[in-house]
Amino acid sequence: MSTVWLRRVPQVLLLTVVWVLLWGTVSVKIVLGGLLVGAAVAFLFPLPVENPAMPIRPWRLLQLAGYLLADLVISGVQVSWETLRYGSRARAGIVAVPLLSRSGRVVTVVAGGVVLTPGSYVLQIDQRGGLAYVYNLGLRSAADAERARRQVLKLQLRVIAALGSADELVACQRALDRSGR
Amino acid sequence: MSGILDVVSAVLLLAGATSCLLGALGLLRLPDLPARLQAGTKPQTLGVLLILLGTAVRLEFASASTLILVVLFQMLTSPVISQIIGRSAYSTGTLRRDELVVDELAERMREDGDESGPPAGPRPS
Repeated sequence: MSTVWLRRVPQVLLLTVVWVLLWGTVSVKIVLGGLLVGAAVAFLFPLPVENPAMPIRPWRLLQLAGYLLADLVISGVQVSWETLRYGSRARAGIVAVPLLSRSGRVVTVVAGGVVLTPGSYVLQIDQRGGLAYVYNLGLRSAADAERARRQVLKLQLRVIAALGSADELVACQRALDRSGR
Repeated sequence: MSGILDVVSAVLLLAGATSCLLGALGLLRLPDLPARLQAGTKPQTLGVLLILLGTAVRLEFASASTLILVVLFQMLTSPVISQIIGRSAYSTGTLRRDELVVDELAERMREDGDESGPPAGPRPS
């Protein structure tokens, strides 16, 4: 019982940070209020507790965030370009990308990250077959499709580097090499 | 100092507004729902981000900190929504499949002997 509560501490702390940001100032009263609200939310809407064996590498996570932010900027420019250059003649495609991790946390972050990569989002995830079907705007040829596939694989590598286990990282690197970078 | 901040803020605001405008243009010009969804999420999110950044530059931290939250939630929610709408677009046929360059999801469905739509949830084995 007590260990389960201990694992909810990061969630409560995160909610406290959000609370303090909402108020905009730091004071004892606000921080205590935030802790109280955070604990209440964690108690009333309990999330499934994460598998503690999952490592989090803060530096890699920060790198991932920076990479995603850059991707968002490129995305915005690229979709705008597609609009101006091709308009109603814009083309798209759906490619299947192998999922390199079975962990729900990694797959969720990958799916979220794909949305920020230029012109794409995940249409369908086939967990059992280990495949994600990714919609891509601005595809014109088979070579473009291959490039899009590799882009999602690289994103997966970054997510696994931040949140995945060590064996997953090795398997992911191997898959990327096989696809011929 | 405040002169420089004004310029930075103005550049960010204008860039954000341009991005939003291009997003709106994309909604009109792009051919089908998923493509328009891209226009509605990518340049728009970037635009909102730039505008909020431009605003935050001219504010003291207490007010700017709330804007950080706005950016965070904007980036968390719009992807989820676009994913849900995009998925239903494929199954209802608003996605123009005949114009796709590649469609590996359709190939997979043919192999499964299912022409009606993408696999919905867990399939019987």
